[in-house]
Amino acid sequence: MSFSSAVVFLWLASSRNRLRLQLQRLRRPRYLVGALVGLGYIYSIFLRRLEFGGALSNVPPGVRLFAELSLVFSALVTVFSAWALGPDRPSLTFTESEVVQLFPAPVTRTSLLHYKLARGVLGAAMGALFASLFVGRLVSHAPGLFFLGAFLSLGTLYLHATAASFMRTRWAETWGTRGLVARWLALGCVLAAVGLAAYAALDAHPFPRTLSVPGVLRNWVQAVVASPGLSAVLWPARLLVAPALAQDSSAFLSVVPPVLGLALAHYVWVRLAEVPFEESAVTQAETRTRERAQRASGGVAKGRAVSSRKAPFRLSARGRPEVALIWKNLITRRRMAGGVASVLASLLLGCAIVAMMGESRFFTDTRRVLGPLGVSLAAMMAVVGPSVFRMDLRMDLPKLDLLRALPLAGWQVVGAELAASALMVGLLQLGLLTVGLLSGPGAEDPWLMTWWWPGGVALALLLPSMSLAGLFVQNAAVVLFPAWVPADRTGSARGIEALGQRLLTLMGSLVVSLVGLLPAALAGAVVGFPLWSSLDVWALPLGAAAASAVLAGEVVLGVLLLGRAFEHLDVSEDRPE
Amino acid sequence: MDFVLRVAGLEKRYGAVNAVQGLTFAVAPGEVLGLVGPNGAGKTSTLRCLAGILPPTSGRVVVAGYDLAKDAVDAKRELAFLPDEPRFFDYLTVWEHLNFTARLYGVEDWEERGKALLEEMELTGKEKALPGELSRGMKQKLSIACGFLHSPKLILLDEPLTGLDPIGIRRMKASLRRRAEEGAALVLSSHLLPLVEELCHRLLVIAGGRAMALGSLEAIRSRLSGPEGESASLEDLFVRITSGAGTEKPPP
Repeated sequence: MSFSSAVVFLWLASSRNRLRLQLQRLRRPRYLVGALVGLGYIYSIFLRRLEFGGALSNVPPGVRLFAELSLVFSALVTVFSAWALGPDRPSLTFTESEVVQLFPAPVTRTSLLHYKLARGVLGAAMGALFASLFVGRLVSHAPGLFFLGAFLSLGTLYLHATAASFMRTRWAETWGTRGLVARWLALGCVLAAVGLAAYAALDAHPFPRTLSVPGVLRNWVQAVVASPGLSAVLWPARLLVAPALAQDSSAFLSVVPPVLGLALAHYVWVRLAEVPFEESAVTQAETRTRERAQRASGGVAKGRAVSSRKAPFRLSARGRPEVALIWKNLITRRRMAGGVASVLASLLLGCAIVAMMGESRFFTDTRRVLGPLGVSLAAMMAVVGPSVFRMDLRMDLPKLDLLRALPLAGWQVVGAELAASALMVGLLQLGLLTVGLLSGPGAEDPWLMTWWWPGGVALALLLPSMSLAGLFVQNAAVVLFPAWVPADRTGSARGIEALGQRLLTLMGSLVVSLVGLLPAALAGAVVGFPLWSSLDVWALPLGAAAASAVLAGEVVLGVLLLGRAFEHLDVSEDRPE
Repeated sequence: MDFVLRVAGLEKRYGAVNAVQGLTFAVAPGEVLGLVGPNGAGKTSTLRCLAGILPPTSGRVVVAGYDLAKDAVDAKRELAFLPDEPRFFDYLTVWEHLNFTARLYGVEDWEERGKALLEEMELTGKEKALPGELSRGMKQKLSIACGFLHSPKLILLDEPLTGLDPIGIRRMKASLRRRAEEGAALVLSSHLLPLVEELCHRLLVIAGGRAMALGSLEAIRSRLSGPEGESASLEDLFVRITSGAGTEKPPP
């Protein structure tokens, strides 16, 4: 069997087995339902919109121009990146399996190169398919022609990137730093030429003073890109994307020969520029495999920063054992993402700088913004917070063996896992509310002034409980439906059925959250309304306190029940020994 | 006799697959039981059930007098499970892992014990390292250090020598022997038959989830029929038993 036929066999057999596996999974009702929901989603989002015939006439010319220029600039950026970005090494990437199976096989380097080029061209076909789905209808009447044109363009760009990486490797090996300097000098010249052309075009066609007349902006853009200098810069990219933009077969046939010639020339270039790529491929494959393994085990991939911040408090050996889990998760929060804290600190610093810039007007205006902003963000955190703060069972469930071996009851594990996220979200909300309330409502409206403090106190009582309930629902989904919810960050399950399952889980979580809020709302109303006549707006915090207590009670009950589910959780159905 | 571990009729099913079928055995303090069997025999499933990680389909597991189904927390406090692939929390350092374990098990003198264990496992100087910064062997040693910190009465080990260098293997064997001498019961699963032969007082050979032989090497050897039964090595016995060549009957 020749190498090419072995490769064809490999691809066909792999595709067939993958399909068979997916069909086998559909025997399980949850996968079947998931597949139906996923297919429905894909149809409603993408396929239903594929009304190429007649759709073009409805698209505004400005949008079409934007889509065309996007394709042109994408091609130019790809070419520039190939020469400017990344290390000087062959861009051919092989998986660990390919390295182990193909590199020691009795095949030539050229065969391996062709194998990889074929994979790249297949990738270009997939890219063209997605481009047809997303932007095809904006720029073309003929989806088939758009696909063919996009395929040719992407394939040529792939060959260009490969050839560029070979050339860069060759120069780096032959000339070292001198090669690097020469390359950047050439790139600098090209950039300078592009800059001059852009300057000349803008000088000849200044930005319109008013944009109120329809079409002014579009006409200006068309005039700028049609100016001699820029038109020369854009010409190669325009040539490349011309087949994709062809509106009919005759136009397509007239513009496709130069692109075919360009693709052929690039293939010849790749063959002539070919350099040894095995060493680089092996190193990259090993790195990727290591990172994937780390991610799969819930680990931290290389390149992701892990700070060495200190623990939030000293953990004594005495006391309730589940506190150790809270301590662990708080450390995780501090070390995995100073990101949120940094953003908040930057915001506060920015506000402080603006406030201290001298004019009292700034200070007044800042206060006007800060108040509503703080309260809005705190309220928003009740919805967003449970998805952002994930140092709980969602993060730890891939280490189920470790958790299950701990000398803790199920409810202790579930409660402690929830606690750290709930603490962080709750404290953040209270901090935002404090800043917001102290800054004031930002308007002198009497009604707003009356409600500001009672409403703020009510939110302070209610929002942390709502976040806790949201966190509980998301953690419950992981424990109750481990096969549906990807607990780890890798999102191991893939495919249409997995997409459908996630959609169902998301909808289910929303429904459960809303249902859980009903008793709390009822309790709030039962307490708040009778007190309204005597306490007026200050009945609101009392109602909120009652609602919050009911929510907290629901979560406590849920933790006890979920703890039992956790103790009986058996993921072995989907993860056999 | 007071056994640290008593297992009766342990079964574990994954859907239609019977991974463990009717295992019954006990392990006394100071005893090392070797769990051997071919790939897919059910060794890891058995150990996970004994550690309280997987709920058994049926059967009873009693650890240091605590029923694992009824008093899971008390039972788990008396055992340590050291898996073949150590798992850690990515953002805790080596020293913080020991601190974490100390709080879970209430080990008040954990700092002295921790230092001694890190010394024993040649991890001194790595206290501030995160798990991602450790080699495979170092992770294995950290797993062992965390497992030994609370002086468990029952130690369950799944391929404990994986990833260790020759010096690490020698230290590990000495360490396990010492724990057994101090009264801990050990259940050790390994494909390394010389290790099993060297360390274990008794063997439990399983295949297809069933117990094929249980007893000391000499007892199993003497019970085996055949012309070379008396002088057979553990490897010979293993092959005979697991391929059905021996006449050994499953223990009652």
